[in-house]
Amino acid sequence: MVAVYERSYQNATKVTRKANPFGFDPIFAALSKAAAITVLVLLAGIMASMIYGGWPAFREFGLGFLTGTQWDTMNDRYGGLPAIIGTLSTALIAMMIGVPLSLGTAIYLTQLAPAWFKRPVGTAVELLAAVPSIIYGMWGLFVFVPLFAAYFQVPVSQVVEGMPILGTILYARSPSGLGILSAGIILAFMIVPFIASLTRDMLDQIPTVLRESAYGIGCTTWEVVRHVLLPQAGVSIVGAIMLGLGRALGETMAVTFVIGNANRLSASIMDPGSTIASRIASEFNEALGMQMNALIGLGCVLFFVTFVVLVIARILVSRVKQY
Amino acid sequence: MSQMAVQDAPSAAAPNKDAKVCIGVKNLDFFYGSFQGLKNINMNFFDRQVTAMIGPSGCGKSTLLRVFNRIYSLYPDQRATGEVMLDGRNIISNNVDINELRARIGMVFQKPTPFPMSIYDNCAFGMRLYEKLSKSELDDRVEQALRKAALWDEVKDKLKQSGMGLSGGQQQRMCIARTIAQQPDVILFDEPTSALDPISTGKIEELIEELRADFSIVIVTHNMQQAARISQYTAFMYLGELIEFGPTTKIFMDPEQKRTLDYVTGRFG
Repeated sequence: MVAVYERSYQNATKVTRKANPFGFDPIFAALSKAAAITVLVLLAGIMASMIYGGWPAFREFGLGFLTGTQWDTMNDRYGGLPAIIGTLSTALIAMMIGVPLSLGTAIYLTQLAPAWFKRPVGTAVELLAAVPSIIYGMWGLFVFVPLFAAYFQVPVSQVVEGMPILGTILYARSPSGLGILSAGIILAFMIVPFIASLTRDMLDQIPTVLRESAYGIGCTTWEVVRHVLLPQAGVSIVGAIMLGLGRALGETMAVTFVIGNANRLSASIMDPGSTIASRIASEFNEALGMQMNALIGLGCVLFFVTFVVLVIARILVSRVKQY
Repeated sequence: MSQMAVQDAPSAAAPNKDAKVCIGVKNLDFFYGSFQGLKNINMNFFDRQVTAMIGPSGCGKSTLLRVFNRIYSLYPDQRATGEVMLDGRNIISNNVDINELRARIGMVFQKPTPFPMSIYDNCAFGMRLYEKLSKSELDDRVEQALRKAALWDEVKDKLKQSGMGLSGGQQQRMCIARTIAQQPDVILFDEPTSALDPISTGKIEELIEELRADFSIVIVTHNMQQAARISQYTAFMYLGELIEFGPTTKIFMDPEQKRTLDYVTGRFG
């Protein structure tokens, strides 16, 4: 046996591996490089053409393009403030409603729900995330908005009428159901499945021993979640929330349906308004000349706003203590 | 065979024959769903003694440990029947306050489990939950605990830093400090050194030796030398049953059961 083994070992041809200059490797490297460069070129191209297209509007109106409240297609005067405020306020409302809902869902699913209940709720959350935004828009317009007008806007407007601050913010001059608040609520419904399923995955990834160790000290479930699990997953949860915010800022279809598309600025969140995305979507078809430039300029602003959100998210994430 | 036995000769302090019973286990059965993980366990754990649980993987030693602080109650399909008496109360009955029980029975896990907070907050965590202490009392207790865990000198200048930044061995000693800061009656160690290097392991073993003065200790270990080095009593378990329990010297030098002898001499397991 030993002899046979040695002979075959000696007879074995010496295998050397040389890099083949005409093999698949160079092609593979070139292709993946090309793919990466394509992304860069795309981004640069989009940015450049947006700035180029919006430039006439920026030049014509200057800073007034951001601070002006008139959007006058007859006289070609364009100010983007109502749309910018609308974008920020709908997103803010969506976060205020959506984040607690999402975190609550995720915590319930990972820590409290009995096993038989976890699966249906978990699946429902994932299905909600897959619903196209046009469905949210249609449902919002045909189902949610009338109910919202009848059972929320009208009674609330009656209660707050004449009150100092609430009377301004929550008073609906024409309780149609359409408005900033409705859009914010619909947006919240849209981002909840997103943030909830991401947060659930983060919480699930926390090692079992850490959880058991917190319980082992004598923590209640609330204390475990509050002091150990949420801080442990903190950075990732902030990331998930920022993804949701990105979606809320740029969401077009559903918002266009329910926001009312008013071009004026109102202090009340019950009144119709518009966001950058909804303004572009509802006017782009008929826009010509300066109006087109102004819309593209608004697009630039949205681009910039989402970029700023991303930067703030990064700063926040890096400031969350890295334990 | 006898050579092997001599090699493993226990080097820990002799058991204290007068020690009181701390945990009394009677007719304990444990089920994971329909699988029976523990079969009719009867044994006593003694006050301020180290009891080592040995046996091959899956023999139920960790399961038994997890009964003592009711951590199994987190999982609805796991249940225990029988009696586990601590201070005259059956701790596996339903009318026990689980959180209070867990505060009295500390547990240290296979891997270090630092919480996402500073070293100081990690150590103060349990006390803050259960006791109203002033800042200076808290400071004292944290320092005491860290000193007992032989970690004070290494961390006293960086108490405000994250506990995650320590080495594995330091993290494990911090977890021990966190447990003893709560002044429990019993400390459960579930293979506390299995993720550590030999030097850190040595430190933890020395520490357990010293903690015996103040606490009753139960340690699950895969390392028989470790059991021989640090325990006064040893229990050998196999397939969910308690095969033999007695003073460590006896289990390692002169066991009554053939299976125990085979295991401690390394013939199976």
